[in-house]
Amino acid sequence: MSHGAKGGGGPLLAWACLLLALGAMLAIWSEGSASSLLFLVGAIPLTALSAWNRARPAPGGPRLLARVSVPVVAAAIGVALAAVGLTGGLWLVLIGGEVALFGAVWLAREVALERRGPRRREVRR
Amino acid sequence: MDTGTRQDFSHLFSLYLAIGIGVAIIVFGAVGFAIWRYRAGTGRRPSRVAEKNKLEAGVAVAITLIVAFLVFRTFTVEAREDNAPKEATTIDVTAFQWGWRFVYPGQGVEVVGDSNHEPTFAVPGDEPVHFKLTSADVIHSFWIPGERFKRAAIPGRTNEFDLDFESEGSEEGLCTEFCGLRHSDMRFNVWVLSKASYRRWLAAHS
Amino acid sequence: MAGGAQLVAPAPRAPAGGALGWLAATDHKRTAAKVAIASTFFFLLSGLLALLMRSELAQPGLQFVSDHTYNQLFTMHGSGMIYLFLTPAALALGLYFVPLQIGAAQIAAPRLALFAFWIYLCGGISMYSGFLTDNGAGSDTWGGTLPLASSTHTPGVGMDLWVIGVGLAVLGSLLIGVTILLTIVRLRAPGMTMMRMPVFCWTMLATSFMIVASFPVMVVAMALLLAERHIGGVFDGATGSIAYQHLFWFFGHPVVYVMFFPFVGAVAEVVSTFSRKRFFGYRALIVSLLVFSSLSMAVWGHHMFILGAVQNQYYSLTSQLLAVPAGIEYLDLIATMIGGAIVFRTPMLFAVGFILQFLIGGLTGIIMASPPLDYHVNGSYFIVAHFHYTLLAGSLFGLLAGVHYWFPKMTGAMLRERLGKLSFWTLVVGANVTFFPMFFLGFEGMPRRVPDYAPRFGDLNLLSSIGAGFIALGILMVLANVFVSLRRREPAGDDPWGAQTLEWATTSPPPRHNFGAGLPAIGSYAPLLDRREAEEEEREQRGVEVSA
Repeated sequence: MSHGAKGGGGPLLAWACLLLALGAMLAIWSEGSASSLLFLVGAIPLTALSAWNRARPAPGGPRLLARVSVPVVAAAIGVALAAVGLTGGLWLVLIGGEVALFGAVWLAREVALERRGPRRREVRR
Repeated sequence: MDTGTRQDFSHLFSLYLAIGIGVAIIVFGAVGFAIWRYRAGTGRRPSRVAEKNKLEAGVAVAITLIVAFLVFRTFTVEAREDNAPKEATTIDVTAFQWGWRFVYPGQGVEVVGDSNHEPTFAVPGDEPVHFKLTSADVIHSFWIPGERFKRAAIPGRTNEFDLDFESEGSEEGLCTEFCGLRHSDMRFNVWVLSKASYRRWLAAHS
Repeated sequence: MAGGAQLVAPAPRAPAGGALGWLAATDHKRTAAKVAIASTFFFLLSGLLALLMRSELAQPGLQFVSDHTYNQLFTMHGSGMIYLFLTPAALALGLYFVPLQIGAAQIAAPRLALFAFWIYLCGGISMYSGFLTDNGAGSDTWGGTLPLASSTHTPGVGMDLWVIGVGLAVLGSLLIGVTILLTIVRLRAPGMTMMRMPVFCWTMLATSFMIVASFPVMVVAMALLLAERHIGGVFDGATGSIAYQHLFWFFGHPVVYVMFFPFVGAVAEVVSTFSRKRFFGYRALIVSLLVFSSLSMAVWGHHMFILGAVQNQYYSLTSQLLAVPAGIEYLDLIATMIGGAIVFRTPMLFAVGFILQFLIGGLTGIIMASPPLDYHVNGSYFIVAHFHYTLLAGSLFGLLAGVHYWFPKMTGAMLRERLGKLSFWTLVVGANVTFFPMFFLGFEGMPRRVPDYAPRFGDLNLLSSIGAGFIALGILMVLANVFVSLRRREPAGDDPWGAQTLEWATTSPPPRHNFGAGLPAIGSYAPLLDRREAEEEEREQRGVEVSA
């Protein structure tokens, strides 16, 4: 079914097809109920992922990863605060948004440093 | 309809229950057999057989046949229930937080009650009664356990269905769709009466 | 060498220990541990709510709580268990063990998983903080049906916090599901083809399909519900209320399979290991999993039979067809045991418990898949019994099988065997005494989601409540087992069970990049068993040569 890095998409495509078949069956049987469109929520991303994986298989080999990633935590908490702010008030949405943005920028820096490789001694606060 | 709502249910339920119990006996038996016969300690080497496609196919086909039969029986009963013809007695039911209103259009009869005072309405036994069910606020559900039937009461929509009450007497009814604070107190009663008693009841309540 | 990503940390100044290490570690094993710990905490909290409910329900009449409090209790119990415990716990198992089983050094998007954990945790905190508000926590069932969930009928910040919290928790689970999917598709070790992945990985793959296909709909539904509560006009009229149910149940059904498949996978691994046989019917199982998981996306309308607003026949057909792949899975599990040499350690007990008890839940599900039968049992305690058999007597037992099986690998210590067996039997008694009577209660006319009931239901309710005490006792025993086993450790070694899959070919616990000493040859879904069988044959050959 698959050969190493390029494979793996088979089951995704098979499943997407099953979804489309089930959705079509509902559409016909229910005489066009809009709810049958919900089957596309899965069929589309899985087909896309299958195609993308074939086109750009995982590079394999060593990869760098920081042991800890504090900006990710900041970004998550920011998003959560902003979400809670939707009921708590605009001030909380703004605070959350700022924290999330801060985290996102910091994360971008962290990932960029990581990509540059281990030879440079990175300066971290 | 020649059989009552409750009877339809009972026959179908007995079929499903029998098959369910049968399957449970087979599976429990197979597991029991496996864990007793193949427990370690008898020096036997585990088998290396890991595939028997004919067996798999056979089991799949067998289950599909059973399911097909059950589906066929379900569809038959469902067709009877959901497509029953309109009959003489019609009752408009409105559910609200947290009680019920029963209106007999054309008879000038209305019965209302709530969680403090349970309403009781009457129906003639032995003939289909047509219900038109809706809600005044949130989704409720109209359940008469004795009839083995419920349907949702949806605001902005009228659900219509027939019930055939077979035996005379009193039946309880309740709401089974969570509808807020006093959901557990939303009860009603149904009197299933002979034609004569029913007409007397109508006259007394108009 | 381990395929996929191999990780070397940049010259570390701060070791990945201490508080920072725990809060922000990127290692998938650490993230999985965090999810597991948080979900255990929410499990205990939500379980406490259930004990409060069962205390109230032990006798007719309202003794301890008001109507409004009870509505919060059952809502938070259900939503806590589903969104904050069983779904994340299932994902935590996958997050920890999928990379190990496929020979990868990490998951595909470690930062995404870390992000997802924090989102989920914040979601849980948001949900539960509703209890601190004026009108209390969310109180409109685990799904929040409209129009009841609108701000007119369920006012208060607590319900808003519930909606937002659920959205966040489901978003977190969605993102973890995505990382698992990406890992399986992209990071398998060389030689680990799809058809050589262990059964557990296949169940996680099917789970991730369902997550990707349905969880986004729930996140959107919660966002829309929040908009409905604050702006209005989103779900108008009967059409709107029904549309909301389509959106919710489209997620609400697959999620229960998300809380099932990973545990079937764990049970499959346990049964194979303790039967000393490779899993039977691997190919048939894969086909079943794909059919089962796709069908599960097409049955949601069976929750809406009584509305009279969906195509009942379609949903009845798809729902009943679920019996076919389920039957194949059962066949494969039993056939794995037959011909084996079964050892009854605690994981195997929980696995057999899962197999037998889940069956009861599953068969009653087939009953409910018939609309005329559903018209009676829907909304009653029959349903409550059904889903507790599948989720507690089934999935929780499967989770405990996995936990007892994999605990030595994750911690390097063995769990106490006698305490484990005792906890198993206590839970069997508890689960069945609590939930079996509920089938009769529901059938006889007791509705669900009520703090009080007709006096004739008193005896069975009392029995149920007594059973709940046994469940609590059993859970306490499990927790005690974990605590004691970590305090006074019995070293486990790499492979205490004589298992079959790659996670047992590394240390306990595994090093940060999972496989320090490289991978054994991968020729099937049971590589360690292959190696043992080959060695056995070789020894026999040599024995024959010597004696010849």
